[in-house]
Amino acid sequence: MKIVLENLTKKFGTVVGVDDISLTIEDGEFVAFLGPSGCGKTTTLLMIAGIYRPTAGIIRFDDRVINQVPPRDRNIGMVFQSYALYPHMTVFGNIAYPLKLKKVPKEEQAERVREVAAKMGIANLLDRRPAQLSGGQQQRVALGRALVKQPDVLLFDEPLSNLDARLRLSMRGEIRHLQKELGITAVYVTHDQVEAMTMADRIAVMNLGKLQAFDTPDDLYDRPKTLFIAGFVGNPPMNFLEVEVQREGDTFYAVNSALRVPVPAERGEAAARHGGQVIMGIRPEDITISETGTVRGEVFVVEPLGRDDLLDVHLDAANRLSVLADPAVHLRAGDTVTLALDTRKVQFFDPQTELSLLWR
Amino acid sequence: MASAASSASAIARSRSQAMRARLTAYGFLAPAGFLVLVFFFIPMLLILFLSITNLATTNFTTDVWRMATSRDPKYIVGLDNFERMFADEFAPKILFNTLFYVLATLLLFNVGLGLVIALLTAHVDRRAGFLFRALWILPRITSPAVYILMWKRIVAASPFGILNQFNELLGRPEANYFQGEAWVFIVMLNGFIGASFGMIIFTSAIESIPKDLMNASLVDGSTIMQRVRYVILPLLRWPLLFVTTYQTLSLLTSFEYILLFNSGGPASQTEVWSLAAYNRALNTYFANAQWGYGSAFAVVLVIIGVVMATVYMRVFRFNELVAEPKIEVL
Amino acid sequence: MATFTSSAPTQRPLTSQEYRYRQAETGELVGQAIFTALVVVLFFELGVVLFKVLGPLIQSSPRFWGSDLKVDETLTRALANALTLLAPFAAYVTCGARLRELAAFDRRRAVRVALAATIIVYVLVTMGQYVFQVGPFAEKPSLEMSFRQTDEGVLVTGVVPGGTADRAGIKAGDLIVAIGRAPTTADELKEKIALAKFESKIGLRVSRDGQEELMPVEVVPVMEIGLAPLVGGLILALILAVIALFWPGGLTPYVLMVVIMIPLLVGYLWLIVATFSYRTEGLLPVDASGNFGGFTLRNWEFLTRPGTSSYPSIWRITLNTLVIASLMAIIVLTVSSMAGYALSRMNFPGRRAFLSLTLILHGFPAVTLLIAIFFILRNIGKVPVLGDYFGFNTRGGIALVMVAFEMPLGVWLMKGFFDNIPWDMERSALIDGASRWRTFWEILLPQIRPGILALGTFAFISGWGAYLIPQTYSVGTRTATLAVYITQLTGDTAPVNWNEVAAVGLYQMIPVFIIFIFAQEYLLNIYAGGTKGTS
Repeated sequence: MKIVLENLTKKFGTVVGVDDISLTIEDGEFVAFLGPSGCGKTTTLLMIAGIYRPTAGIIRFDDRVINQVPPRDRNIGMVFQSYALYPHMTVFGNIAYPLKLKKVPKEEQAERVREVAAKMGIANLLDRRPAQLSGGQQQRVALGRALVKQPDVLLFDEPLSNLDARLRLSMRGEIRHLQKELGITAVYVTHDQVEAMTMADRIAVMNLGKLQAFDTPDDLYDRPKTLFIAGFVGNPPMNFLEVEVQREGDTFYAVNSALRVPVPAERGEAAARHGGQVIMGIRPEDITISETGTVRGEVFVVEPLGRDDLLDVHLDAANRLSVLADPAVHLRAGDTVTLALDTRKVQFFDPQTELSLLWR
Repeated sequence: MASAASSASAIARSRSQAMRARLTAYGFLAPAGFLVLVFFFIPMLLILFLSITNLATTNFTTDVWRMATSRDPKYIVGLDNFERMFADEFAPKILFNTLFYVLATLLLFNVGLGLVIALLTAHVDRRAGFLFRALWILPRITSPAVYILMWKRIVAASPFGILNQFNELLGRPEANYFQGEAWVFIVMLNGFIGASFGMIIFTSAIESIPKDLMNASLVDGSTIMQRVRYVILPLLRWPLLFVTTYQTLSLLTSFEYILLFNSGGPASQTEVWSLAAYNRALNTYFANAQWGYGSAFAVVLVIIGVVMATVYMRVFRFNELVAEPKIEVL
Repeated sequence: MATFTSSAPTQRPLTSQEYRYRQAETGELVGQAIFTALVVVLFFELGVVLFKVLGPLIQSSPRFWGSDLKVDETLTRALANALTLLAPFAAYVTCGARLRELAAFDRRRAVRVALAATIIVYVLVTMGQYVFQVGPFAEKPSLEMSFRQTDEGVLVTGVVPGGTADRAGIKAGDLIVAIGRAPTTADELKEKIALAKFESKIGLRVSRDGQEELMPVEVVPVMEIGLAPLVGGLILALILAVIALFWPGGLTPYVLMVVIMIPLLVGYLWLIVATFSYRTEGLLPVDASGNFGGFTLRNWEFLTRPGTSSYPSIWRITLNTLVIASLMAIIVLTVSSMAGYALSRMNFPGRRAFLSLTLILHGFPAVTLLIAIFFILRNIGKVPVLGDYFGFNTRGGIALVMVAFEMPLGVWLMKGFFDNIPWDMERSALIDGASRWRTFWEILLPQIRPGILALGTFAFISGWGAYLIPQTYSVGTRTATLAVYITQLTGDTAPVNWNEVAAVGLYQMIPVFIIFIFAQEYLLNIYAGGTKGTS
């Protein structure tokens, strides 16, 4: 089922929760809503679910406007962060509840519950109560309950954030696999960008109630349209430096008090055309410590991440860079390093509008 | 909220659905609303009306319409009752009695003793604490007639009185506690009932103090008194305020124990405002029950009650309690 | 809690407190203890002053209203006296208690310091008492003679040689018949003397050898103090300090609890004794002629007595009470949980208003409306059919009034309990396809079971013991509950058997007491829920 949001707005009193969002989720697509907490992503999800009523705008399932349709008539399945299992019912009771409300005959209920339970790998837990289950098992029950009524749309509200790291990893794959197998349109709210990047077909990035971008994970990473996206997507986050881009013959240079590095012509040209100060973004993985580097700086903090060390390098008072380094080098705070900047994927932004100068 | 929703004219909204949503809400509220209407709202208006009538045993009727319209006998006497009340030589005394009774009982027992018991039972063995609290609840569940009988026996004259029996053993003269120490015992017998309310509230508040906090304080090497002073009491601020305001109101209007103990005697020495209202309007002991005049006394209490309850609402930061529901559909 | 002293000789590092104590000179420790003790005395005396000022203030204020009527000050006087009496003892206890930390690792030094401090505080306190002439040094008005009550009058049993009575000419063996012209007893005379001013005169009418004579005796101040009370006081002080020093801290709450509860314990002890005896004098059961004994089961006979038209059998009444209390609990639960749910979980015009109304009613003393509700019930009674069930003097009417009075609290509590259920739970149910009614009934209600049990118990208890409302709105035995039955037993024209009243009262109390013991945790919950939203 296709989901269309048109100028969707939600106000709580005078506070704007969701501000004029328009997007289309294709049938069978897996879309993640990504953003910091309080950005309006859960509110949007609850409007799709029918729990909140939009203040303005339209929600369509395929061509049908469903603004006034109560949740029970939308045929959706939802998995909550807290799982929201009914503590006084058994696992069977929990999964069967939506069917019971639909007045599905008893035998069919039992059959469908068993089918779903088998698929979720919880067939042996049917007569337990939620309190007797582990977090992962509860998660599976919640998923089973959402799936049992064969919904047109699956909604997820940060479903993995209460699980431990390993379980989260395996559940990610499982949910993704299930969704593709059943071909159900899915909307997945999360604040974890790795989750969004690995699971979603497309990601809607939200901030302060506004839709910042709606793109595939690759596009978000390589072609960020705004400064916010560039800074938000990617870990460790992108470095930003204020530079001026100057042209010398066919070569463009990004210049400021601490550095002077050549940039690719097609990117440098766009920045130079804007003129004056621009914000240059460069990802930590594109910076290497090298004897042949052109930029000098002092290591300020060393943060061991395991596979890499994350360095905070001060070039001068105004310019700092996060750099990934090989732990084997054993750099310490106070060391002086020379850095080589690989500027092939460098980004440029207008400091006023914070829009990308490269991607429209 | 409603205005925000209605301004969203962009949406083709279905009126009937919003209507159904409201009807469901009102359906849930209907029984409570009915009781509030019949037993709070109308009585409040009625008592205002009764207070401007001269209704008494001699011209008694329950027909409110007749009271309002009849010319002969004429029921409505305007503010006569209030004039009479303010001119009543007992009124100032009763007023001061009431203030004294409420303040003394509240501070010494309902809040003071309640807090002491809660702190003490929190520091004894858990089961012992349960037993002590159960014993303290006894006065509240004892039938008033029997509870008062008990106190009467404590203060009675020889040979029945328990205190006087002790006096005799100690070789002291017999005392007439009904006459001399009426207030001491009225405050005590009401206080011993009232203390259990504060006790329960404070106990549940103390028990809900996170164990981490207590442990942290124990690790810091604090003494019991220091824990009470620096950990428990600051966290009891709201329960303290709650008990104080709530119990002020209920003491202001509790009179049944005084009624049973000495009916406000000797010579109106211990009569309080609510008892005065009851005695004048409903107590058949006085042959002529003066409904109108008694209502005037009650109106004073109703006004105090409404004012204090409103203050109480303000104090408890009402606005924080009415957080918008997080589901908007039906 | 701090008395494990030299249990093991293992060397452990000193705590900062121990270190502080080791460093401190003995004199310094004594000084600290004395200082703390004096501060305690000061607090007590402040209390005394407060109550002494408060008393006359309370007493005199109504005069501003042009009335001579006095408000009693016995309470403040009793409190001031209690504080005066307790102040020195509190000081001695403080001397010991202040050094408990030291006693934990250096017993001997703690005892020495405590005793030294106590002696000094004792001397200071005694000097203070002497200067202000209070406590044992209080000068009491006296006639310097002893007397006792006899059948003929007050017999003088002795006079102090050279004392004021002696000077006035009174001799041992005289019979005092009156003060002035008013006949008197020994008690009245004692009171008269106690209230007399120094140097005033009391005119005693003395009968000697059949002749009456008026003898004015001057009242003189006498300080009745010997060495014995002073030494005894010091020894008591020292003992108190040492006890305070080594008192196991864990016992204090128990002892305090029991002390505070003495009036209750005595009262209920009497109640139990009374139900098993013919009569009681004080706490003692006595038989018809006033001797110890007279145990009987007669007061409990009401349990087997068959019902009559004016006195239904106790089991009928018990059943009645049970039905009314249970009904009330069920109705209160239904009404409150529905309203609480709507207020907690639904949005509708008027929600704010209703919520504030409930909160106001929660605090509002409904008893003030008793008079008006009498008229409401009377008028409901005029409605055909409905009036037969809910009018004045009907079970339904009384139950409704009680439900209404209980309801604001219930709505408020239920709202608190609903507020604590995660929103996701209900959202999930709605998405699963439930209506609001079904969500309420199938999903939310089962989750506030503790709240329902608590409010149910609470309502049941208050319905079981309800007195004022059934008493005010019923006539006769039609609607008798146990509480009303008890009142009827006491209100008869026939002589009241108070011991039977006590027995019925005890009988009524037992089930509720048992319920409370088992439901205490739930009831603690109820208030936690009730005040939660407010903190």
